[in-house]
Amino acid sequence: MRQSTPMELRMGAAREGRLSLPGLPRMLTSEHPLPWLLPLTAMLLVFTVYPLIYNIWLSFHEYVPFKRALVPVGTDNWARLLADERFWGAMGTTFLYFFVVLGIELVLGIALAMLLDSDAPGYGLLRSLLTLTLVIPPAITGMMFLLMEDAQFGVLTWALQGIGLLSPDTPILATPSTALAGVMLADIWQWTPFMVLIVLAGLRSLPPEPYEAAMLDGAGPWMIFRKITLPLLSKVLAVAILIRGIDLFRVFDYMFVMTSGGPGTSTYTLSLYAWQQTFSFIQWGYGATLSLVTLALILILANLFIWISKVRW
Amino acid sequence: MAQVSYRKIAKSYGAVEVMRDVELDIADGEFAVLLGSSGCGKTTLLRMTAGLETITAGDLMIGGARVNDRPPKDRDIAMVFQNYALYPTMKVFENIAFSLRVKKAPEAEVKRKVGAAAEVLNLTDYLDRYPRELSGGQRQRVAMGRAMVRDAEVFLFDEPLSNLDAKLRAHMRVEIRQLHDRQGATTIYVTHDQIEAMTMADKIVLMKGGKVEQVGTPDELYDRPVSKYAADFVGSPSMNFIEGEIGEREGAPIFLAEGVAAPLPAPMARHLGRRTIAGLRPSDLHPAENGAVQGTLTLAEKTGADQNLHVRAAGVDIVSTAPRNFQVRQGQHIALAIPPERVHLFDAATERRLGA
Repeated sequence: MRQSTPMELRMGAAREGRLSLPGLPRMLTSEHPLPWLLPLTAMLLVFTVYPLIYNIWLSFHEYVPFKRALVPVGTDNWARLLADERFWGAMGTTFLYFFVVLGIELVLGIALAMLLDSDAPGYGLLRSLLTLTLVIPPAITGMMFLLMEDAQFGVLTWALQGIGLLSPDTPILATPSTALAGVMLADIWQWTPFMVLIVLAGLRSLPPEPYEAAMLDGAGPWMIFRKITLPLLSKVLAVAILIRGIDLFRVFDYMFVMTSGGPGTSTYTLSLYAWQQTFSFIQWGYGATLSLVTLALILILANLFIWISKVRW
Repeated sequence: MAQVSYRKIAKSYGAVEVMRDVELDIADGEFAVLLGSSGCGKTTLLRMTAGLETITAGDLMIGGARVNDRPPKDRDIAMVFQNYALYPTMKVFENIAFSLRVKKAPEAEVKRKVGAAAEVLNLTDYLDRYPRELSGGQRQRVAMGRAMVRDAEVFLFDEPLSNLDAKLRAHMRVEIRQLHDRQGATTIYVTHDQIEAMTMADKIVLMKGGKVEQVGTPDELYDRPVSKYAADFVGSPSMNFIEGEIGEREGAPIFLAEGVAAPLPAPMARHLGRRTIAGLRPSDLHPAENGAVQGTLTLAEKTGADQNLHVRAAGVDIVSTAPRNFQVRQGQHIALAIPPERVHLFDAATERRLGA
């Protein structure tokens, strides 16, 4: 039988309420956890629970400017939501953005990670360069791409026109059919490295033995990728999809900076629409309703995903 | 036909040469054991056979064809890894079936072969489990099953039993040997455990420092070790070594050391006066009046079937296997006899065996 390490013994003693962990200050070994939980609990109450409850309360009220007051409106906001074409449009845009960007970032992320998974000299440098895009504020990235996709002097416009993918009379961000793709580009550029890093971390920790066994079993590279690598990575991928998915569903910065939701309403996402209702139109109640719906959707999707992707092995 | 031949095989990692001049033939259907201590190159040689390591120099022939540059998947080799290397994301059934899936075998054939392997290995009840839900012994059997369904020309085992407890190990030794006898495939088995080598092998390849020290049947290694190293490695308890000189008494050669006077076979007379190391197997040494080795008993270890007597003689600790009912007290004087033909002689300088 394995001997318990001194640390485990201490932890065990602490759990049983007995005391005295030699070396640790008394205050860190308290038998009363409550005081230690209090700061966190207080912060959660003030910054998470209270705003959430207030938001729910707000969704049953509306700000009336000439009264300078919130008045109860019952379920009016919720009824309005169902009939609001702009809401459904924003939801469609959000889902489209979510699936396309997540898909591209995932595939690109896995592909790049596999290319970078090497111990040869130089690869470490390449891997650390990847983190550079992650330190740029998304709003700045948005501005960069706004410039690069500028119809007159944008480098991306010039390049795309050069290879014939874009006709000269199509300004990317001012054309309803291309504007969303233009925004997606910024997101993909900024966040694919994040995917790469997570997948790389997963790849680097994979055991070599199953690969050797698979090679001897006669499997080729594609078979090995499909049957060994992907399943082994599934836990890591699930985490990456969850983190990115939640981020993507509440995307705001890129649209705000690059298109302000336009042209027309073609790049309005749920977050941006909620922002517009709340802060431009001073429809606090309706804005709260919209953000609650976004929250609910994220919660449902995330939990659905966790449930589906429950990794069994 | 899958004869495996190694011709002047060498392996280097950068400037570090870990193996050279390995010349070895393993016949079709033979059970060969690569035996040696850690770092002797036995696992490297096995991995080169599988194609998991490149071969720096020399030729590896399987079934008469040079396979140095053939990728693992085209060598028709099945391997059982030391840590089993199961596919953690697949259930036992799919683990065993994987190679069949790769070959796109029909479902009925997959079911039949996996079922048969599971039957032999007592895994039928576990086919629906994941590897992490199995004990070490069960995982080991899954790894065996994966090799069994292969119908490969050559089977490689890389210390497959080293992670099992002693009882299970003894059981699996028999299983693996029986499996080999049933399938008749060429088998190369790596181990550092001389008991595994002695009990399972048709041919033992003893390795030392990246070179082959001795090749032979278990009996040959036990009875005629080519060097002190080989003599020391094989047999349990280990052989006793005493340094001394070959002298003469009444016209017959005799091995002489402090407290030791062991008669030798007559032909050994030609090594008269030579510094030698005598190797005496504990099982050949018996308590007897006027024995060749005189010393005092320091410890009697009971092993159940018999006892190991530790005798202080010639400045070293000599072990002798005696019947369990042999009565002797600690500190008592004791004499041990050995038949002349059972004394192994090695040159003191080269540590190679001295021939008659």
